[in-house]
Amino acid sequence: MNHMSPPPPLSPVWHPIAASTDLAVRHVFHGKLLGRELAVWRADDGHVNVWDNRCLHRGVRLSIGMNDGAELKCQYHGWRYASRSAGCTYIPAHPANSPSRQVTNRVFPTIERCGLIWAALEPDQPFIGLPQADWFAAREAIVHAPAALVLNTLAAEAVPRSLAWLSPYAMRLARRAAPDETLIILAQPADGATTIIRALRAGAPADANAWLRRINRVFVTLRDQIEAASPAGEAAAEPDFTPVAAELAEPAPAATAGLTVTVARKWQVAADVFALKLKPLAGTLPAFQPGAHIDVTLPSGQVRQYSLTGGPGENEFWTIGVRRMPQSRGGSRQIAEQVREGDLLSVSAPRHNFPLRRDALRSVLIAGGIGLTPLLAMAKALRHGGHPFELHVFSRDAAHLPFADTLRGFGDNVRLHLGSDPVQTRETVAHLLGPHGFAQHVYVCGAPGLIDAVTRTADHLGWPDEAVHYEHFSNDREINASSSFTVALARSALDVEIPAGCSMLAAIRAAGVSLPSSCERGACGTCVVKVLEGVPDHQDVYLNAREKAAGRSVVTCVSRATSQRLVLDL
Amino acid sequence: MITLYDYENSADCYKARLLLGILGLKFDIVPVDIFPGDDHRRPEFLDLNPLAEVPVLTDDGVTLTDPQAIMVWLAARYDDRKLWLPGAAESIAMVQHWLGMAARLAASAGAARTALARTDELDVAPLQAEAHRLLRVIDEHLWFAERERRFWLVPLSHPTIADLSCFPDLALSEEAGIYHIDYPAIRRWLDRVKRIDGFSVMSGIFPASRGGTATVSTTS
Amino acid sequence: MQTATDIIFDNWHPVCAPPSPGAGILRTRLLDVPIEVAAGPRVRRADNGEDPPVLERFGLVWTTLGRPRQDLFDVPEYREPDRRNLSAGPIGVAASAPRAIENFLDLAHFPFVHTDILGAEPHTEVKDYEVRTSDDGSEIIATGCEFFQPLAALTAAGGQKVDYIYRVPHPFCAVLYKSCFVDPSRMDVIAIFIQSMRQERIRAHLVMSMIDEVHSDTEMRRFQQMIFGQDKPILENQRPRRLPLDPRAETPIRADLSGIAYRRWLSANRVTYGVIPAQH
Repeated sequence: MNHMSPPPPLSPVWHPIAASTDLAVRHVFHGKLLGRELAVWRADDGHVNVWDNRCLHRGVRLSIGMNDGAELKCQYHGWRYASRSAGCTYIPAHPANSPSRQVTNRVFPTIERCGLIWAALEPDQPFIGLPQADWFAAREAIVHAPAALVLNTLAAEAVPRSLAWLSPYAMRLARRAAPDETLIILAQPADGATTIIRALRAGAPADANAWLRRINRVFVTLRDQIEAASPAGEAAAEPDFTPVAAELAEPAPAATAGLTVTVARKWQVAADVFALKLKPLAGTLPAFQPGAHIDVTLPSGQVRQYSLTGGPGENEFWTIGVRRMPQSRGGSRQIAEQVREGDLLSVSAPRHNFPLRRDALRSVLIAGGIGLTPLLAMAKALRHGGHPFELHVFSRDAAHLPFADTLRGFGDNVRLHLGSDPVQTRETVAHLLGPHGFAQHVYVCGAPGLIDAVTRTADHLGWPDEAVHYEHFSNDREINASSSFTVALARSALDVEIPAGCSMLAAIRAAGVSLPSSCERGACGTCVVKVLEGVPDHQDVYLNAREKAAGRSVVTCVSRATSQRLVLDL
Repeated sequence: MITLYDYENSADCYKARLLLGILGLKFDIVPVDIFPGDDHRRPEFLDLNPLAEVPVLTDDGVTLTDPQAIMVWLAARYDDRKLWLPGAAESIAMVQHWLGMAARLAASAGAARTALARTDELDVAPLQAEAHRLLRVIDEHLWFAERERRFWLVPLSHPTIADLSCFPDLALSEEAGIYHIDYPAIRRWLDRVKRIDGFSVMSGIFPASRGGTATVSTTS
Repeated sequence: MQTATDIIFDNWHPVCAPPSPGAGILRTRLLDVPIEVAAGPRVRRADNGEDPPVLERFGLVWTTLGRPRQDLFDVPEYREPDRRNLSAGPIGVAASAPRAIENFLDLAHFPFVHTDILGAEPHTEVKDYEVRTSDDGSEIIATGCEFFQPLAALTAAGGQKVDYIYRVPHPFCAVLYKSCFVDPSRMDVIAIFIQSMRQERIRAHLVMSMIDEVHSDTEMRRFQQMIFGQDKPILENQRPRRLPLDPRAETPIRADLSGIAYRRWLSANRVTYGVIPAQH
C-alpha cells in the first residue's frame, strides 16, 4: 500500500452528480441527488448549470428540454431559461411581453473539480473536496441499493488497514484483489434505493483502458451481487416529489432589490461613447431579456438608465454603453470622469420595458447613435435564435459609431447610415421599412427625432401600432396624476400612493409589505388581496365576472382602482 | 417504386421511415390500421405477411417483412457511398450483431411499450427486466466507445444502420417504463443520432437542439 | 372519501368499446377497481361482484361506481347523419386524468409538441380568449380560441388560421370543436374521454366526429394517433403526476385561461382523485 497521508474529511453535503465528460455539447444530463431530480447542462461558455428538473410552468422535466448553448428550452411550451440565473427570458405564447422575474428556476450550487461535477442541495455549504491531484476516474456504476449497503459491501473487500472513511458517502481503500492500488470511492446517493459509485485513483494508470475495464468489471459484479441479494422495488426510478407550493409561496427574494457591481473594465467604443463591463460583487447576475435596461445609481445619488448590450449566454458580466454629453445634467459626465475600473456601483435588476419578440418573420432594428445599445442585445438574440433581422445604425460619422467592432461581426445584417440629415433619414427609413407584411416588426431607439421619423413613416406605410416598438432615451418621466390613487393597508396601518405606471403590487412591496406573486400578468391569482373599501378597476383575467362585480377581491399585479382610495386587508 | 405498409406509432416501421428519409428516397405509404382496426389479421394482409406484422416493404418485385432486413435492403441497394452498411467483412458482421440487438430490444422494450399503450393484460415486468439487461450492456459499450472517441455502435467514424435500427426502441423505452436516467451514455448517443443529417422524428421522440456535434465534451 | 354527491364516483366513466359477442371478457380497471366487461354490454365489479349500471354512448361503454344524479353529457353533433364518427382506440398513458385534460385544452404547446402540424414557430402567440362556466356550473366552455396551423386536419389545404371551442362537461372528459374545412358552417369535433384506471394511469378514449368524405377511417385514425402520441411523452414527464390545484404550485400565464378555470372548477367541486388538493 502506498504511503499516502490520510486525506482530510470530505464535506458530507457536497456530492458528485456527474463526470465532466458526461456534459456533452448542447446536451442536458439527467441527474438525481437525495431524491431530487436535477437537470445538468453546460453552456457554451463552460458554465455548468444544476437546476431542479421541473419547468415552473406545468412541471415538465427540463432534462428532456433543449440546450442551445445559452438557454434551456422547455419541450412543452418552449419557455427559455437563461444559463447561470435560470431566469425565464421568453414565453413564446406571449411574444410581446417579458416574463416576470418571478419565473426563475431553482438553482443548486455546483463546483467542477477533479473531473467531476459536484452539487449540494443546500446553499452556503463550504466545499471540502479531494486535495489537488491528477485524479483519474473509472466509469460510474449505478446500483439499486442504498449507499450504506454499497459502501459496506465494498469495505468488506478492502485490505483492513487501508480503509478510511472520509465522510458517510466516501472512503479510501485498497482492495484485497489489488492491494497496491489506493482508490477513493465516492457514493452518490441518488435516492434511498439507488447509489452511484465512482472510483478515483491518483494519477492515470499505465494501461488506462485495461484499468477502466477491470474496475468496471469489479463494480458490475458488485452491483449484480448486491441487486440479486436485495432486489429493488419499483420505487427506484420515481423521484420524490416535494410539493412546490411551499417554495413558490415565498416571493422570490430581492425581486426588485438592487445589487452591487464592480466596474471590471472601462474602454472607449466611439468618440463620445465608452463602455463599462460590470461584474457582480457576489453571486450571479439576474436574467435579462434583450432590450432590458438597468438603473445605475451615480455617486451623486442621481439615477440613470442604461441598456444592457449582451446577448444570450453573455450573462457573466453586463456591458453598458455611456455617451458623454457635454451639456448633460451631469449624469453621464459623472460616469465619464469619476467612475474608474475597480469602482463599485449600485444598480437595479433589469427592467423590461422594451421587449423583443422572437416570433417575427422579419425584424428591423433602427438605432441612432447610443440608441444602439438595446438593439445590439436584440441583434445578438435574434442571431442566436437563427431569426432573420436587419440592424440599421444612424451615426454622425464613423468616429461616433459605437461598438464598431461588434457591429462588424454581424456582417451583412448591419447597414450603416453615416451623416444623414433629417430629410435623408426619413427617406432612408421609408426605403428600408417598406410596406408592412405579416409578422414584421420594427424596433427603434435613439434621439426623439429619429424615433419620430420612424413611427410616422411606419404609420404612413401602414405598419400597425403593435408592430412598431420604441424606447426613448430620456430622463424625463411624466407623472400622470390622474390615474394615481391611494391604497390603505388596514392591517399594516399604512397608506401607499400608487402613481400612474406603477402597479399596486410593486408599490406595496416598495413600502415594505410582503405580498407573494407569480405570473405578474393577472392570470394566476397568487397576488389576490381582499378589498375592504373602495372600487377596484379589474384588469386581470383570474377573477370571474361575479367576483369582479362583487369587488371584494383584487389582483394587485395589474388591477387599479376607480375610486380615489382602496382599503385592502393587508 | 418503394411501398411501405406502415403503422404510424410502430417503432419497427419508424426504422424504415427514418432510413428512407435519411437516404432521401421517395416512397408510398399504405397505412395499416393495426389498432384498434386489426387490419393486419385480415386475409389480404396475411397474403403479404403471414406473420401479421408491419412494416412490410415492397420494392421492385422484392417483398420484405423483417424490419432489420428492410434496413439492410435499403442501405445495400441505395447507399452509393456504402456508409450505412459498409462492405468489409468485419463491418458487416458488427452491423449484424447490432441488428440482432435491435430485434432483442424490439422483443423486450418494444413489446412492453406496445402492451402498456394498449393496456393489455400482459405482465411487462419480465420484458422490462430483459430490456434493462440489454440497456446496461449497451450503455457500457457506448461509454467505452466515447473514451476512444468513437460515437456510434459500430466502431467506425460514421453511423450505420446498426444505430438507426437500435434507435427507435431505445428512444421510446421510457414509454415502456424503462427510464433513461440510469443510462447516461445512451442518452448522449440518442442526441447524436437525432443530429444525423436527414433525421426525422416520430410521435414520442423530440428533436435535439441545434448545434452541437457528434462529439463528447472534452472540457474538464 | 366520498361525499354526498361525489363528482367523480357518482359519475359515468368510459371503459371500452362495446365488446363483440364471442370476444370474451375484457378485464380493465376503473378508479382503482378491477372490472370485467362482456358483450351485451354487461359490466361486473371484480372486487365485490356487483353489476353496476351501464350505458352506451359515442361508441363506448360507460359505467359508474356510484349513483349518478344525471344523465351523461351530450355531444349533439355526433348524431348528424353525414358525420364520420370513429374512435382512435384507447391509449394507455402513465399520467393522471386531469393532467391529460389540461393538455387537451392547451393551445400554446402546438408549435413545440405538434411541430409543423398543429403549430409552427414563429407563430407561437396565443391571443386572449374567453372562458366561462355554464350557469349551472356543470361545464367549462372556452371560446374565441384561435391559432395558426400548418396542417390543421387531413382536409386542410396548407396553413390556416383555425378557430377552437373547448368544452369540459365532466371532470375527466373534454370536447374540442375546430374549424371544418369541408363545411365552414360547422365544426369538426374531437373528444377525449378518460378512463382513470388509477390516479396516475389512464386510458384515453379518443373519439372523432368529423366531416370528411375523402379520407379512410385508417387515415383519420392515423392522424389522431400521431397527434396523441406526441402528447404522451409530455404527459409522462410531468411531475407531480397528479394535477396540483394550489394556484401557487405552478406558474400559469394568460394563455392558460382554460387550465386555470379547470383547476378552480376541480377545487370548487372538491375533487380529490388524480389531483393534489390546495391547502387552505
